[in-house]
Amino acid sequence: MKAEFSEYLTQTAPAIRTMIARLQEHFDYVSVLATDSTGFRISISQKARDISSETMMTERGNVIRVYRDGLYSEYAFNEPDLAHPEAQAETIRQALEKQIELLRLTGTEVYETGKLADEPQELFVEMETGTMPEDADLDSLVKELTAVSDAAMKQGEHLIDCRLTAQSTHVCKMFLTPNRDLRQSYVYSEGTVMPMAMKDGRMEYAYAGVAERQGPEIFAGLRDKMQEAVRIAEELLTAERIEPGEYDVITTPEVSGLIAHEAFGHGVEMDMFVKNRALGKEYIDKRVGSDLVTMHEGALAAVNVASYAFDDEGTAAGDVIEIDHGILKTGVCDALSALRLGVQPTGNGKRENFEHKAYTRMTNTIFEPGNDSLDDMIASIDYGYLLAGMQSGMEDPKHWGIQCIIERGYEIRDGRLTGRVVTPIIMTGYVPDVLGNITMASRETEVFGTGGCGKGYKEWVKVSDGGPYLKTKARLG
Amino acid sequence: MMLEELKELLKEAGTDAWEITDLKTLAYEFYFIRHRLDQNRIRDTRHVTLKVYRRFDGFLGSASAEVMPGSDREAMQKLIGELQERALLIRNPEYTLNPAVQHKDEETLPEIGTIARDFIEVMQDLPETETEDINSYEIFTTENTRRFITSAGTAVTMVYPSASLEVVVNARQDRQEIELYRMYTSGTCDREMLKKEISRTLQTGRDKLRAESTPELGTCDVVFSTDAALQIYEYFLNRVNVRMKYQGISDISIGDEVVPGMAGDRLSVSAARYLPNSSANRSYDSEGAPVRDLTLIRDGIAENFWGARQYACYLGLDNTFIPGNFTVSGGTRTEAQLRQGRYLEVVEFSDFQVSPFNGDMAGEIRLAYYHDGEKVRIVSGGSVSGSVRELAAYLCMSVNQVQYDRMLVPAVLRLSGVTVTGIAG
Repeated sequence: MKAEFSEYLTQTAPAIRTMIARLQEHFDYVSVLATDSTGFRISISQKARDISSETMMTERGNVIRVYRDGLYSEYAFNEPDLAHPEAQAETIRQALEKQIELLRLTGTEVYETGKLADEPQELFVEMETGTMPEDADLDSLVKELTAVSDAAMKQGEHLIDCRLTAQSTHVCKMFLTPNRDLRQSYVYSEGTVMPMAMKDGRMEYAYAGVAERQGPEIFAGLRDKMQEAVRIAEELLTAERIEPGEYDVITTPEVSGLIAHEAFGHGVEMDMFVKNRALGKEYIDKRVGSDLVTMHEGALAAVNVASYAFDDEGTAAGDVIEIDHGILKTGVCDALSALRLGVQPTGNGKRENFEHKAYTRMTNTIFEPGNDSLDDMIASIDYGYLLAGMQSGMEDPKHWGIQCIIERGYEIRDGRLTGRVVTPIIMTGYVPDVLGNITMASRETEVFGTGGCGKGYKEWVKVSDGGPYLKTKARLG
Repeated sequence: MMLEELKELLKEAGTDAWEITDLKTLAYEFYFIRHRLDQNRIRDTRHVTLKVYRRFDGFLGSASAEVMPGSDREAMQKLIGELQERALLIRNPEYTLNPAVQHKDEETLPEIGTIARDFIEVMQDLPETETEDINSYEIFTTENTRRFITSAGTAVTMVYPSASLEVVVNARQDRQEIELYRMYTSGTCDREMLKKEISRTLQTGRDKLRAESTPELGTCDVVFSTDAALQIYEYFLNRVNVRMKYQGISDISIGDEVVPGMAGDRLSVSAARYLPNSSANRSYDSEGAPVRDLTLIRDGIAENFWGARQYACYLGLDNTFIPGNFTVSGGTRTEAQLRQGRYLEVVEFSDFQVSPFNGDMAGEIRLAYYHDGEKVRIVSGGSVSGSVRELAAYLCMSVNQVQYDRMLVPAVLRLSGVTVTGIAG
């Protein structure tokens, strides 16, 4: 079925248009992003349960962007006065003028930027989905999640709990300017399972999940994920510590995705080019990885939780090849950074929600697959590890360092998995070395969308990433 | 206006209990590239969140949702109905809600523009040089009014400021340029502290330019003298958190050592009602429980648990609360004593993390000082890792403390036996 566009936004559009017209009398550019995204989140464990209507992307509000004298200003609000839009526009104008006066008093200079184009455009997108979050049978879902948690406790000898979450969001966004009217509606869902095991005072946990740009029907996949996660949690109870050093490694698609995201995902967010905070700016058309490295980024690069029709600045979604056979070709860019750099925006201007500023952000970041089989990749290693399970990562675009915290490693000796498991692992390195040392890539590939992404330590947005199994060298601790 | 109607509808619906949180914020935000303004923003929002409780078959279920702005009577009625139904799906063992309280903050906050101006001016007055300067910064100042009302008669209104400053510092030499990242959070602008801290960061940037690769150190003492140490202290806080205890993740009881075999300094941790310029100074917590000073861990022994009412009730505890601020003490040494012998002092991590579940810790080293007992080397790269649970046995802390927003902690912490993975032989 089609995900129907928000009735509320449809009703508020005329008032917002009136506000735009009024503000246009005082500013050279005016746009409004209006949002109305609803959903649910259920958390079930053996010990406690919770249900709420809030997910990472549920919101209802508006952000006005205005431009004058080289400066962009924004006003975010969520109590529109639909009966008196002109008066509200005037209140907003006065508030912004007062803030700008403060800047004059402090002698603040403006980073002058050109005016955004406002070519006529209309778009109305209602994406296909299975069931809608608002139609979900929550009673059955709670029962199923409870049953999965109960089944986990029977399966795992040492489990102290098994926590499951299921959340589904119906995203509706409307972008209006004097000449543009863009509206989109889609659904994404994500579910996780996290068994926790304890033995002789040692506590370990595993994590697995499902995520798609689909409705709550995807939660049926959690039962299978649970079986895998419970096995891993039990396995980790006897895992050893790794001997620090540099190893030949194979990364599972999940870890490959983490590398894509942290290594060059953040590294070519072009708002960082404007600030001269990314080394990538100096490496366009230069080699940053082996021939096997081709990396895509864009809302159209995959169909997953970050796949939309247009971004939060009204730019159409794209699919950019950032690295082509090891050569860095370009980055991704929000609309204002594109103006400053003299390039085209790529549809990557995203906000945490209407209350937050738009930055250049990732959507789906994915390595292309290769032609190797996983068996051949394992057979090619004398001593190393198969790295699995993503815990977290951190970018370092300025110096091209990379930090990935990985759940576990399976030892490989003489081309075979030995059964020895190590945990946890911190993988660090210099990004061009990690990518330059990629010598094999599998045919099978997978995309993961259960995580979130911050910029520095804030501004959380949904992203997905993935790729094939990759063979490289890495420093593990 | 909306609240009165909502309360009336809740009464009509016959809910067993309800809680409403009404948060109004007015924020000024400024984004700078170098010292030029990239963008200015205002946030003027109101979020009303409703939680409905149902008692049934020995359970207390609950469901919550934001009452979406613009909701009319019909929409609110529909929402209440949905929450009533959803609460019946949540079969949590019964517990009691906090008793009724009434409170209203009387203090007047500084005008938001004044706080913002303080931040702008402090950033314009830093000792930058040709080779060490500010790359970019973001200023966030917020005035919050939080109202919490319940069916039991609680009515708490609190007014508080919060602010944060994200700063990126550059240092350069010849063609090489590095950056350092800092995030400061507080109630309002502390000009002196910020100027001192950012000036120190500019100096740190100079050192990073001279850094060599971290050597392979095997295991080594590691000194923490930045806010990375908070991650370690939060592991101890989680040991005395009611939810962690109820879920079996924390396996200690009152009177137990928070981690087994503490042979070094024996830390004490307290909840604090007030810390100067903290962004978390509140009289009542998010569930309407009064916040007070309370010792949680004394000399390494668990003395009180803290946390949400629901889990406290399950553990048979009453009178718990969710503190905003914490203090950590128990150090027995001077900073100089902690900086003796062979150790690695890490002053910049990519992202230092400690698992709240099992205490596993890890972080990539962006800048550290390696003291081999005689010489000091400035190093970068590689990582530190280990388990706080195991390493806490050799915990050493300074007597003097430093405040990071809502945490007052020893200025220096030293752990022995940390694995340091280097990138040079």
